[in-house]
Amino acid sequence: MTTLRATIVGAGGLGGPIACSLGAAGVELVIADHDRVELSNLHRQIQFTAVDLDQPKAACLAGLVTARGGTARSVASRWEAETAGELGADADVVIDASDDPATKFAVADWAVASGRCYVIAAALRYGGNVMAGAPGVACYRCLFEEPIDAPTCADAGVLGPTVGAIGGVAAATALALARGDRALAGALLVFDDLRRTADPRVVRFAPRPGCPACVRAPISPVATPIRVAEVC
Amino acid sequence: MPSIQVPSALRSFTGGASSVEVAATTVRDALAELDRRHPGIAAKILDRDAVKPFIRIFVGPEDIGGLAGLDTKLAERDELAIIPAIAGGRDAPDAPGGRTAPEVDRA
Repeated sequence: MTTLRATIVGAGGLGGPIACSLGAAGVELVIADHDRVELSNLHRQIQFTAVDLDQPKAACLAGLVTARGGTARSVASRWEAETAGELGADADVVIDASDDPATKFAVADWAVASGRCYVIAAALRYGGNVMAGAPGVACYRCLFEEPIDAPTCADAGVLGPTVGAIGGVAAATALALARGDRALAGALLVFDDLRRTADPRVVRFAPRPGCPACVRAPISPVATPIRVAEVC
Repeated sequence: MPSIQVPSALRSFTGGASSVEVAATTVRDALAELDRRHPGIAAKILDRDAVKPFIRIFVGPEDIGGLAGLDTKLAERDELAIIPAIAGGRDAPDAPGGRTAPEVDRA
């Protein structure tokens, strides 16, 4: 049986459930995060306890995955151009679980250029988005052209159950991509308000002419139907 | 009558309403009607005559970027969805445990 490998960028509220579930499923992980655990993290980053305060998040999360029988290596670093190759070199899928728009674009751009599958996960207040990326389909930069903060994001919040739910969906999506299941490749799953419904709006989007990421890795003309695929 | 699904990030403009029905035959007209009823919301979606780069608009399942853009026709029962890019943010002010965590933090 082939061992699957994933790189998780961000060891916070999204990275926690992603790492724990993929690690328990036998996926070998690289977990990257430059940050340390703070008291204000604990209510939604439930992989950490008070014992972890001021410790590196990536190391704490990798330790938890390992303690549960999984395999994980931590890297106390952001995802940057200088580190991307080393962090993602062996990954079957790269998962962005950061809260930083620029990092999301950087992960997606690298994955497109490297021909890798990737998942971009985001959570805000009571909802979130999960995008499944793969070679040959419209990319994250086709969808949202550049890393500018969305309206009111700076003042919005993150709720613990939201990141748990979105992280679970991101992990399942990543596992499917890593196993070669492309059913959701190129789709964006939009969870508007988990208090009201857990059903996502699933949309596929058109490749954007002139997308600088896709110019380096041309899009297949037949791989991006502009239609919805209702799932779940 | 077509309806606009308003993302949570913009519901402060609509008094919390997640869906707004509009009498309109194109996406452009629909957004104008939305802004007439909820002033200021269009400026969060449009930059002059284009959709902002971190927002996508879908009519039903279809991205208007693959249709006729803001001139895309709307049918009586069409549902227009505004989908912004999101990343993460501060703790929710009404979230349990979130009141004492003012710093931007990893999602």
